[in-house]
Amino acid sequence: MSASTQSVAFDTPAREKAADAFGMWVFAGSEAMLFGAIMLVFFVARVSYGPAFAAASKHLSLTLGAVNTAVLITSSLTMALAHFHADAGRWRAAVWTLMATALLGAVFLVIKGTEYAMEFHEGIAPVLGAPFAFSGPDPVHAAFFFSLYFAMTALHGLHLTCGILVIVGLLALSRGADPSSRARRVQAVGLYWHFVDIVWVFLFPVLYLINR
Amino acid sequence: MSEIRKLAVAYAALLLLLVLTVGSSFIDLGGFNSGLNLAIAAAKAAIIAVLFMHLAAAGTLPRLAVAAAGLWLAILFGLTLAGQWGGAS
Repeated sequence: MSASTQSVAFDTPAREKAADAFGMWVFAGSEAMLFGAIMLVFFVARVSYGPAFAAASKHLSLTLGAVNTAVLITSSLTMALAHFHADAGRWRAAVWTLMATALLGAVFLVIKGTEYAMEFHEGIAPVLGAPFAFSGPDPVHAAFFFSLYFAMTALHGLHLTCGILVIVGLLALSRGADPSSRARRVQAVGLYWHFVDIVWVFLFPVLYLINR
Repeated sequence: MSEIRKLAVAYAALLLLLVLTVGSSFIDLGGFNSGLNLAIAAAKAAIIAVLFMHLAAAGTLPRLAVAAAGLWLAILFGLTLAGQWGGAS
């Protein structure tokens, strides 16, 4: 039993690292089924009610959506840097880049929350019993667009919140851990973070960029 | 340092693609806007998967997981859309 594997199930650290990565990829694949199904619902509805969805999409803030995409891409860069530093045994640098990643995730959530507040104020949030008033054509299917928008972005926001909590937990618990298990933890949370970024990369054009 | 350079190139490419996708939405491409946006999103996803998630260097198993996810999504989308447009609707 090598001392450098955390679990007794593995002979070598390399096998443990590979198993961790494989587990995270399978998890990301199962998450892709969840997001894929709701994207499919959106896609079929968009094909069926094109004009209503296009008119509704114009009420989202393209500026805030684009800024948020840039914020999330930047957080993926800092997460990749954290993985790079943790792999090389530079834990202090890894801690700083992980904190930057969690902070950028929080910035994303604040901007998203601002958008939600604007949409509730405008009366185009048909969720939580809020009043819905849409002046464009076909308000029934516009309401369907906004329902899907809130479902998809809230599900994504929930995933991002979990990612931030896991980073905070990792930083709190990995203080005394040995370098190889720290590196594996950063790798695992990094794979999750990048997956959540990829989800947003698809959500942004699908929701914000319909026939501008 | 080459790893840092790789990450910087990936980041620059992702931001460039973001500018492209937002910019293209202001030009009327006559029905090709959505297709272009999805193609750009797929390119961004590929950059993140290969350069940030090290998919190419991670061995066979992660690629198998991605291929399995892709297969099931293809069945999900393929059969639904075949029923939507090819069926007796």
